[in-house]
Amino acid sequence: MSENPRVPLLSLRQISLRFGAVEALVGVDLDVHAHQVVALVGDNGAGKSTLAKVISGVLTPDSGLIEIDGEEQTIPSPSAAHALGIATVFQDLALCGNLDVTSNIFLGRELTDGALLDDGRMEQMARSILRDLTLRIPSVRTPLSELSAGQRQAVAIARTLIGSPRLVVLDEPTAALSVAQTAEVLTYIERLRDLGHGVILISHNMNDVRAVSDRIVVLRHGRNNGSFDADTASYESILAAITGATTQDNEMMRRMAALR
Amino acid sequence: MSGSQSSLREANRALIVETVHRHGGLTQVELAGSTGLSAATVSTIVKELLAAGVVDTRNTTRSGRRAQMVTIAHRVGLAVGVHIGPRHMRIALGDVMNEVVAEQTLPLPNEHRLDTSLDRAALLVADLLERVGSTLDEVVGIGIGLPAPVDSATGMVSVRGIMRGWDEVHVGHVLSKRLGCPVFVDNDANLGALAESTHGASRAYRDSVYVRASHGTGAGIVIGGQVHRGFGGTAGEIGHVQVDPQGDICRCGSRGCLDTVVGGPALLEPLRSSHGTLALRDVIQRAIDGDPGCARVVADAGSIIGEVVSGLATAVNPQCIVVGGELAETGELLLGPLREAIRQRVLLNQIAPLEVVPAELGQRAEVVGALELVLRSTDFVVRSDEQARSADERAGEEEATH
Repeated sequence: MSENPRVPLLSLRQISLRFGAVEALVGVDLDVHAHQVVALVGDNGAGKSTLAKVISGVLTPDSGLIEIDGEEQTIPSPSAAHALGIATVFQDLALCGNLDVTSNIFLGRELTDGALLDDGRMEQMARSILRDLTLRIPSVRTPLSELSAGQRQAVAIARTLIGSPRLVVLDEPTAALSVAQTAEVLTYIERLRDLGHGVILISHNMNDVRAVSDRIVVLRHGRNNGSFDADTASYESILAAITGATTQDNEMMRRMAALR
Repeated sequence: MSGSQSSLREANRALIVETVHRHGGLTQVELAGSTGLSAATVSTIVKELLAAGVVDTRNTTRSGRRAQMVTIAHRVGLAVGVHIGPRHMRIALGDVMNEVVAEQTLPLPNEHRLDTSLDRAALLVADLLERVGSTLDEVVGIGIGLPAPVDSATGMVSVRGIMRGWDEVHVGHVLSKRLGCPVFVDNDANLGALAESTHGASRAYRDSVYVRASHGTGAGIVIGGQVHRGFGGTAGEIGHVQVDPQGDICRCGSRGCLDTVVGGPALLEPLRSSHGTLALRDVIQRAIDGDPGCARVVADAGSIIGEVVSGLATAVNPQCIVVGGELAETGELLLGPLREAIRQRVLLNQIAPLEVVPAELGQRAEVVGALELVLRSTDFVVRSDEQARSADERAGEEEATH
């Protein structure tokens, strides 16, 4: 890693976004370093997915500062986000059921050999990405509609690795998965971190979040409501921050987190 | 020419066996897609492997079409090995010949809760069985390794406070009620010792010690080919030997235990100001990659663990010390100082000096040991002709007495 590890890969400062009367995000701060998994947790409608959309260029914030590697940037579109090295897996995965695994991984970014698609090379690369992530996809030629929910999630994660991004945003990757599939997805997240990527993990499952993340950032009503070290924070304190059970303590925790 | 063709065939066979292993079970069409071999080649090789008894096939359907599901062949009866570590759970299915047919790892949160973890373990066992096309009826037993001393008579954690929240619960009962098969619980270092002494680095020796250096440190003692657990299952708990009389209070209640000096948090703390917040995995990887700070932390841990192990080695006089656990992945970085610390203290035997070697089974040692524990504890599993005969004789005698 040649970059200075003290400069965050992505830094959001005072991000605000409103939809009419709805305050989706109010002055949200977030830092993600390389080689780090930051979990974004919060109640329904806390602004987690909205923040993911801001990071991936789907939504543009009304105000606030986005810095990548310490330089101020705007992310006006998903392709701009991709160019900045940000890859996102949305909750609905956005994959095509009628296409096979390889086509899905390279969708919109197909490799060409002259005027023709270079199927052989794409298939080879797909296979090597799946092997790198130690993914259990039976075949790169299987149509997506035949895969299980966990395997589709795996394909969506594999898709993010095309063009070697530096930051991967995963929106609820383990929702609606069996335990074995969750185990696989959590293992991929560990792999992504080991490969040096920064990861933003959005999830409701405290168990999954605490298993793989380094830091846990709580959003509540579109505002930051605490930041925890995943190794030392207890379930209770995180849940309290999510539900707003102990406001004064949260204030103190937030100050302590700021000191850290 | 024919030589290179047959070696290509050999490589393709190996690729197919490896792929089936990785997936647990998959159809011939999927095998072709996964390996990149042609359907005809896959079909020929699967036929050969089937004849050689390496794989099994059975009919199944994929999207309405008939298909041949290929799995690794296993003898009747499956054993399940579960290792619940501080941050990971590893589950393996093995057949009676101790061949691992499927395995899965699940990351766990720090201080994971008993109810959630056992629930997930049970669901993972069911999922893995389904993956290899088997059911719970085929399971002869489940072996569980825990990072705490376990009383072999009751299968409960025998020292309070070491695994928070796991003290009062009969782990074996919870899982055997849920899955309907016998469950055997043991300390993870004991299972590692069992695995290494039967299939790994110390299989040639009758007396050996297995040291597990991970988030916590433990040891398993093998005397005369048998794992020595002690009266309450605390034999070999070197993580709770005092090394620093002025040290921190350990979770066991004593002061300055080895675990407070070389346990996960203790290894990470000195790196916090220079390297930032790291996970144990990061320290190991960076030490391997040549980061001097991380390598130093690992080396110092090796020499402190070596001091404690030398005391154990003097008491037990093993022929060999096998070092496993995550920290052992750093190889000589850990082993060198550990060996040096032992050599300085243990009485030198001129004829056969004490060997300090890395574990051969790596991260799998504990689950392999759990499988071995199940197979040893289960009577009706036929392990060899000789054992089968003696089992038959015993059954015959029992019938005669009734």
